[in-house]
Amino acid sequence: MTGPRASSLAIYLAAAAAMALLPFLAGTYYLGVGLALLSWIALAQSWVLLSGTTGYISLGHAMFYGLGGYLTVLTWQQWPLWISLPAAGFAAALAALLLGWPVLRVRGPYFVILTYGLAELMKFIVIDIEAKLGKFGRLLMGAPSLETLYWIMLALALVATLATYLVRRSRFGAGLRAIRENEEAAETLGVPVVRFKLLAFAASAFIPGIVGGVMALRSAYFEPFQAFNPVTSFTIVVIAMIGGSDDAPGPIFGALLLVILQELLWVHAPELYLIILGLVLIGFVLFVPDGLHGHLMRKRDTSGNRPRERSGERAA
Amino acid sequence: MADLLSTQLLFAALVTGALYGLTALGLNLVYGTMRLLNVAHGEFVMLGAFAAYWAFTLAAIPPLVALPFIVLLTAAAGLAIYRGLFRGLLRNPRLAERIESNSLLLFFGLSIVLQNVAAAFFTATPRALPYLDSIIRIGDLGMATDRLATLIIAASVTLAIVLFLRFNLLGLAIKALIQNREATLIVGIDVEKVQRMSFALGFGLAGLAGGLVSMLGQITPFMGFPYMITAFVVIILGGLGNLTGGLIAGLLLGVLETYGVALTSTNYRSILIYGVFILILVLRPQGLLGGRRIAR
Repeated sequence: MTGPRASSLAIYLAAAAAMALLPFLAGTYYLGVGLALLSWIALAQSWVLLSGTTGYISLGHAMFYGLGGYLTVLTWQQWPLWISLPAAGFAAALAALLLGWPVLRVRGPYFVILTYGLAELMKFIVIDIEAKLGKFGRLLMGAPSLETLYWIMLALALVATLATYLVRRSRFGAGLRAIRENEEAAETLGVPVVRFKLLAFAASAFIPGIVGGVMALRSAYFEPFQAFNPVTSFTIVVIAMIGGSDDAPGPIFGALLLVILQELLWVHAPELYLIILGLVLIGFVLFVPDGLHGHLMRKRDTSGNRPRERSGERAA
Repeated sequence: MADLLSTQLLFAALVTGALYGLTALGLNLVYGTMRLLNVAHGEFVMLGAFAAYWAFTLAAIPPLVALPFIVLLTAAAGLAIYRGLFRGLLRNPRLAERIESNSLLLFFGLSIVLQNVAAAFFTATPRALPYLDSIIRIGDLGMATDRLATLIIAASVTLAIVLFLRFNLLGLAIKALIQNREATLIVGIDVEKVQRMSFALGFGLAGLAGGLVSMLGQITPFMGFPYMITAFVVIILGGLGNLTGGLIAGLLLGVLETYGVALTSTNYRSILIYGVFILILVLRPQGLLGGRRIAR
């Protein structure tokens, strides 16, 4: 059980400080990019909390994102933000708790497709509700400033990163990883498998719910196809694969690379963006299956100094 | 609301069901023999549909004539993907350790790439084929010729595959592999070859389904994924690796969807499919038709 090395800790603290200073330094455009980066970090960290640790790959995190967005939009200008945003998070976590009980009984490809299916089901239900209400897209008047949203998102990204970091080093995290390696064995050894999986599912839904709310306010517009877009779920998975999903730095690496990719491609070749994202996913699965961070850690380990307990996981 | 007892609705249900059965059969072959869920299965349906569309539009080749070539083309693509992506994955012990999630992510990446390559080349505009639009009447049942052709082809190919799996040596080997991998290795069957063949067959069937779909509905780059989901629902209903079960389940889902939509509205189509899917997984994850992994 060791913390990060002093040098890498210093780098992360400096990065966090730099992100905190961004609103004073950058213009609207780069603040928007920063907001996107922070939102992807928050989303991918939350995903890792469930899927990276337990191996239950969720392809449905757009559901929590969309639910949070929808709730925030429904209560807009009726509830103050400091109530409605946490409520969005709790609603997403509650949905995960309720759905998790049946859903977490299946695993492997069943779980992957089921989560995807649930997100789509939720999308069509919300579309149906909106159509019945006679709404086709909602405009949000008087949304908070970009700076305000940026601060909220920074807090979310920090909390999510810290959560991944702490869970990774807790008994809870050890139990979740045991589930990933062998669920039956974990249960035999006394890991409360069902409770742990449910908790992880709910925890991994909470922050995406809030992020969905903040991003709905950012675009000042809500439309179910956009809010529940499966590309959101897909992007989260790609980020985790690029960066590595075994520890907190992974999603940061992945989100950074993704945002750079987005900035490069959205201007010059938007139609190439998803193609390249797919190719990147294939390339990383085949050649860098541990992600960038995992790969670096492995390199460090094999180059002679082994500072960490890395034995049980991802045995080579 | 349509008359629920009309033969018209029954015919529509049969056509849909036969298509679902065919699509699911291809997916089930790959899943059964390799335990890999081909999430890109629907994209090969989409590619088959576009191949039929372009053959008709550019060279005036009718889809029914193009079908065998489409099957060969998609089967060859399946072989190429097996060699290019999966052989390496299966041989590398570090990757094979998490083969299930890794293969899923690979197929998923492939599916995103194919969708968007198709969108880049063919644009996202929905297209349709004006082919075999005449109507054949028997009594008060009017059948569009393209739907009738689809039903006949889907049913006869399915029957041919069932016979192939029962009487052909390679077919029997495929069935053996689905039933018991270790035993198959022990009796000296070339597992690698059988896997390769079922890969090719599975992808070829996806292409065939696509060629048939091209005559019936809209062709878009993003039409494939819902087909994959539907096919997955079908093979779960029928039991994974259970080929006959899949066929029955395909018909069942076709009937359910057609009558469900007739009773409500087309808006509920997706809710219905996903609803059935979730209910099945929650209530009977081993499938409606028994839990044993069998391949009749």
